[in-house]
Amino acid sequence: MKSLIFRTASIYLLPLLLLFSIFILLRGHYLPGGGFVGGLMAGVAFLIHSFAFGLKETRNIIKINPGFLMPIGLTICVLAALAPWIVSLPLMTGLWFEEPFKFVGMVGSALFFDIGVYLVVVGSTLIIMFTIADTV
Amino acid sequence: MSNPYIILPIVFHMAAAVILMFCWFQPRVQKLLSILFSLIGLGISVWLFRLVWHEGFQVTQAGNWDAPFGISFIADTLGSTLGLLSSISLLAVSIFSTVSMREERIKFGYFPTLHFLIMGLQGAFLTADIFNLYVWFEVVIISSFVLLTLGGKKTQLEGALKYVSLNLLASTFFLIGIALVYGLTGSLNLADVAIKIGAVENRGLVNMTAGLFLVAFGIKSALFPMYFWLPASYHTPPAAISAIFAGLLTKVGVYAMVRMFTMVFIGDTFMSITLSGLAALTIISGGLGAIRQQHLGKIFGYLIICHIGFLFAGLGIFTELALVGTIFYLIHDIVVKTNLFIVAGLMNKLTGSPFIKEQGGLYAKYPLLSLLFAIPLFSLVGIPPLSGFWAKVYLIQASFETREFLLVGSIIFGSFLTLWVIAKVWSESFWKDKPEASSSGKPWSTFSTKEKWGILVPIMFLSIVSLYIGLAAENIISLASRIAAELMDPSAYINSILGMK
Amino acid sequence: MMLLIVLSGFLFSALTRPIGSIFKQALPWVFTALPVLLFIYFCSQIGVVSSGDSLTWTYKWVPSLGLDLVFELNGLSLLFALLITGIGSLVFFYSTYYLKGHAYMDRFYGYLSMFMASMLGVVLSDNLLALFIFWELTSISSFFLIGFNNEDPKSRKSALTALSITGLGGLVLLGGIILLSSIGGTYSFSELLSQRNSILSSSSYCWILVFVFIGSFTKSAQFPFHFWLPGAMKAPTPVSTYLHSATMVKAGIFLLAKMTPLLGGTPAWNHTLMIVGGITMVYAAIHSLFRVDLKGILAYSTISALGILVFLIGVGTEKALLAVGIFILTHALYKAALFLITGIIDYQTGSRDVSQLKGLQHVMKPVAIAGFIAALSSAGFPLFLGFLSKEIMYEATFKYAEIGILLTAAIVLTKIFLLVAGFWAGISPFTGELPENLKATKKPSPILWVPPLLLGVGSVLFGVFPALIEQSLIQPVFANISGLDTSIYLALWHGFNTVLLLSILTLIIGTAIYFQWKPSEGKFARTLRFEKISPQTLLEGFAVGFHTFAGVWTRAVQNGYLRNYVLSILAFLTVIMGYRFYEGVSIYLDWNQLSEITPSEVIVVTLMVISIIFAIVSTSRTASIVALGVVGFANCLFFLFYSAPDLAMTQFSIDTLTVLLFMLVLFKLPKNKIFSSKRIRIRDAVLSVLFGLLIAILTLEVFEEPSVTDISKYYADNAYLLAKGRNVVNVILVDYRGMDTLVETTVLIIAAIGVFSLIKLNLNPSKEQ
Repeated sequence: MKSLIFRTASIYLLPLLLLFSIFILLRGHYLPGGGFVGGLMAGVAFLIHSFAFGLKETRNIIKINPGFLMPIGLTICVLAALAPWIVSLPLMTGLWFEEPFKFVGMVGSALFFDIGVYLVVVGSTLIIMFTIADTV
Repeated sequence: MSNPYIILPIVFHMAAAVILMFCWFQPRVQKLLSILFSLIGLGISVWLFRLVWHEGFQVTQAGNWDAPFGISFIADTLGSTLGLLSSISLLAVSIFSTVSMREERIKFGYFPTLHFLIMGLQGAFLTADIFNLYVWFEVVIISSFVLLTLGGKKTQLEGALKYVSLNLLASTFFLIGIALVYGLTGSLNLADVAIKIGAVENRGLVNMTAGLFLVAFGIKSALFPMYFWLPASYHTPPAAISAIFAGLLTKVGVYAMVRMFTMVFIGDTFMSITLSGLAALTIISGGLGAIRQQHLGKIFGYLIICHIGFLFAGLGIFTELALVGTIFYLIHDIVVKTNLFIVAGLMNKLTGSPFIKEQGGLYAKYPLLSLLFAIPLFSLVGIPPLSGFWAKVYLIQASFETREFLLVGSIIFGSFLTLWVIAKVWSESFWKDKPEASSSGKPWSTFSTKEKWGILVPIMFLSIVSLYIGLAAENIISLASRIAAELMDPSAYINSILGMK
Repeated sequence: MMLLIVLSGFLFSALTRPIGSIFKQALPWVFTALPVLLFIYFCSQIGVVSSGDSLTWTYKWVPSLGLDLVFELNGLSLLFALLITGIGSLVFFYSTYYLKGHAYMDRFYGYLSMFMASMLGVVLSDNLLALFIFWELTSISSFFLIGFNNEDPKSRKSALTALSITGLGGLVLLGGIILLSSIGGTYSFSELLSQRNSILSSSSYCWILVFVFIGSFTKSAQFPFHFWLPGAMKAPTPVSTYLHSATMVKAGIFLLAKMTPLLGGTPAWNHTLMIVGGITMVYAAIHSLFRVDLKGILAYSTISALGILVFLIGVGTEKALLAVGIFILTHALYKAALFLITGIIDYQTGSRDVSQLKGLQHVMKPVAIAGFIAALSSAGFPLFLGFLSKEIMYEATFKYAEIGILLTAAIVLTKIFLLVAGFWAGISPFTGELPENLKATKKPSPILWVPPLLLGVGSVLFGVFPALIEQSLIQPVFANISGLDTSIYLALWHGFNTVLLLSILTLIIGTAIYFQWKPSEGKFARTLRFEKISPQTLLEGFAVGFHTFAGVWTRAVQNGYLRNYVLSILAFLTVIMGYRFYEGVSIYLDWNQLSEITPSEVIVVTLMVISIIFAIVSTSRTASIVALGVVGFANCLFFLFYSAPDLAMTQFSIDTLTVLLFMLVLFKLPKNKIFSSKRIRIRDAVLSVLFGLLIAILTLEVFEEPSVTDISKYYADNAYLLAKGRNVVNVILVDYRGMDTLVETTVLIIAAIGVFSLIKLNLNPSKEQ
């Protein structure tokens, strides 16, 4: 699988796919997409990279232990979910900024929630794939 | 009453697990934190229980969407009681784990998973949404699967494979059932479904769906003939894990069954008869299994099945009296079974073998410990006035009143088999001299002080709780009666969910 | 006050350890003080009770269950309380010497006082549920005491047998009590008494009787449950004296006596008791003649005596019930003495073989005197208490209508044999020449011989002056059992009549047999031939058979094959759903409602079906996985057709990932082999098709139901308005049902942890920490 074309392609593929995954994540609230699919895409991106360059390379790129992406992501989710408690509303109540942001549109707790999901999905797909790929 | 904080038990354990994950590489910190979190968790559960006890049902609607559009959570008496019991079990197991669990396992996520498991249970007890219940079940299954395989020894994996296959089968049925319920009523909210399912004209469809739920929860609560995964897996993991499983896993299935069959699928005679019949068979089959075993874990495993039958007997009879019996037994069983598996683990260590044939001499060597062990053992048998006794009185009385003599026979017979099995364990492991040839265990005196306390504190804690259940039976009965009354008349539950705001 | 009296035993028992550490060697004496004090207390109440009053004391324990601790001191319970504490005092006292230096002295006294308290609870409780609680506690303490010498496997086995039988009986009794209360509406015995008529006429009366009988018969060692009692003789002799002769085994008798005014007086009650009691007394009496072990003789003669009591309750006439009261006292006095004497002989000589023991009066005079008294009282010689009870018994049976002769014959026969047995135990060891090997026997300590002698004094005193107990003890007992207030009188001389003749006949024949019949190992061995058909063998055979059945059953159910498990669960579900389907599902299909089938749908479905079949029949795992992947992608297409791009996208990603992961793993595995035979495959196929069919019909019909779409409509309407999102699916995921997503996210994390630790953590097979 480590043909030259594949390698070269994947150098460009990785950032492209990652960008695309973030795009999918952000537009989720309006068009097909969302944190879950986005995270999966990012996972696939890294997987392809690791097929091309080997696990070590990929790990180097990610730098942070993917294991920690999971708790970080979950923390974001939980915080986003619990934020309404501050104003004594039930958890998961949508809170929104008044004004839309550039590129992203309306920003609310749901978006942070989705980002958390994204991170968790990336983290766990990576962990699962790396572990399995390691032993095979 | 609306109270956004009732899901604190869930969120707290999730946060606990996350924090524990950040301490992935520091087993010592994890141990300390886990005990601390379990203590706080117990505090939260006590708070919630008292709140519900004094002020009635507490409801919150996730996302602030009115029911039935969002996901509702409700803390009723049953849910908050079970939540409290889970927290009690967790505290004991968490303390026990700090000294009994190998360092390697802790380094591979034991504690976070444990807290995730409890989070799943708390969620299941609080949610009022069928699909959300399914999701909590997923959490429970996956984290129990992880705990079961942690360490990956061959026997463990073999058991885990059966465990996970059959439980996933159950989940599949559950999911199909949910889809059908949604198709029939257009709703997932338990309260909403309870109302709308009555309006479905094609009763046959509802009845068939009930069959799916029966099997789905039957597998999870280890009902005959669906309990195969339990004897295959419960004795394989370390004692602490078996203990939390024994105390809580099957019970969440029982809880779900009780909920569904007291709220949604009611007034179905066939189902009542089926449940009674299955209960009787479960009691007998579990008892028969228990008398044949030599492995302490397997003996207790089969006894779990036997006693699951007691729980279902009450649901099958379906009178208020019978439900009091079921609920009382449920309360007793969670505490005692957790304790029993911790005790089994310690017996195993002291004698160096899990087989009662090779155990022995405990009584001569450790008279005081034996006395302590006797509390859970004989509570389980239901020697009056210990905790296992009271529920049986209710169950037998209820069966007499509905003239279900088969159940009376099974309950008496099951109690007898339990008595016999425990007496045999006592005679073999405690009275008998230790056989010469068998491997020697680790004498108590070689345990470090920390280890001694780490083992004794949970056992004593749970024993005191079960003694309380037995001797202050009046309090537990009034709790169980209140729950039973609420179950027989779910309108308060439905109204609190739908009628708010 | 009464609570304290009953509970003091439990208190002592619980505090065994601290008492032991404070008093050390004096511990037995501290414990002995307890029954003595209680005995004095109960003695002081004789006056009150005999005047016809009863003392009641109530503590509401579990009111919602109707369980109050009501202790009532009436005639019957006073008699038993006196026996329990009186003989208890002697046994506690005796044991201080008998078990001197035993390592587990403290436990012994702990159990013993627990037993005493439970027994007091049984006899004093008015509330039947409370009675049951104490009843079970006596069984448990008996279990611990029989197994006291726990290193001995026989001792353990006997303990287990005794517990099994009394435990099962106890549970059955619980059933009876609950049934009784569900008819009478209360557990209180005194309240139930007022509802006697409604209970007797209830359709459950018969069941109540069966349950109560089984409970009593197991406890009081009646045929065919008697065999646990000889086994229980493995316990130390003081325990046998106390539990298995004087008190605990009489709990069953106590219960029957207590129940007589409530349940008795019907043919079913009387006949059953007469038959069972009659068989037991004769059967056990014959058995006792063939034993050589002193304790064996005593065990069987105890069973026989219990049989007599049951029999008399069954006869149920005034005289018979009077005889019950007196015989309980008589038997307790002489049998306890005989047991204690046996203990002394055993302690001093190390033997209990009646064919070897001779002439011991030369070394232990006081013991011999006690033995003679006990034996004579047991035989019913005039001037001993036994004479009185025997007279009344004969009178009772003789005057019983129609079959009186038969009953009298049975009881005379029993009495003759019991006389012989009593002589063997109380006289034979002391008479004759002292053999060489016993010459060195030391004189026993007074602590040992005083208790049996005291009991003997009792037998003589009450025998000579029956007036001492007539009004004070027996009258209230009689009143309690019979529910009548007829005055009774006890006298030594009833005039010369048939009964006296029978009595004399008994003495002569019995004594003659005693001199002619020598028990020996040989004779004992001959009885063993009949073991094959004895209840013990039969019941044990049944137990073994049951155990085997349990094994077969368990192996059949839990057979170790996952595929069988899945199969049985599926089969069960199919049966349940199939039955419900058959029971009544209205089936209708509205073709107009179904949308048109498009060519693309046909293609995709065909693709799916082909892939599924391929996945099933393929022998290559990789191919199967790929085929399953195709099914997944086909699903994606369906999602697309029905405009659910989100689902399609997710399904697509997941499917790709799974197939890739599977490939990674499966790459290493060997080719798939077909293990199952054709028949099994067909069976599986039939089952899955049936199940699939049921689900398909169900799904179809559910769609036919008029659908309620409030919720999905609400979602669609409000997604943008309230949740500020145009993509409804995403809004559902992160807002409406965000909780589900949050939790599923957690599931993902746990799964990741699981995969990680499953693969990375490999504990070496060394022992657990």
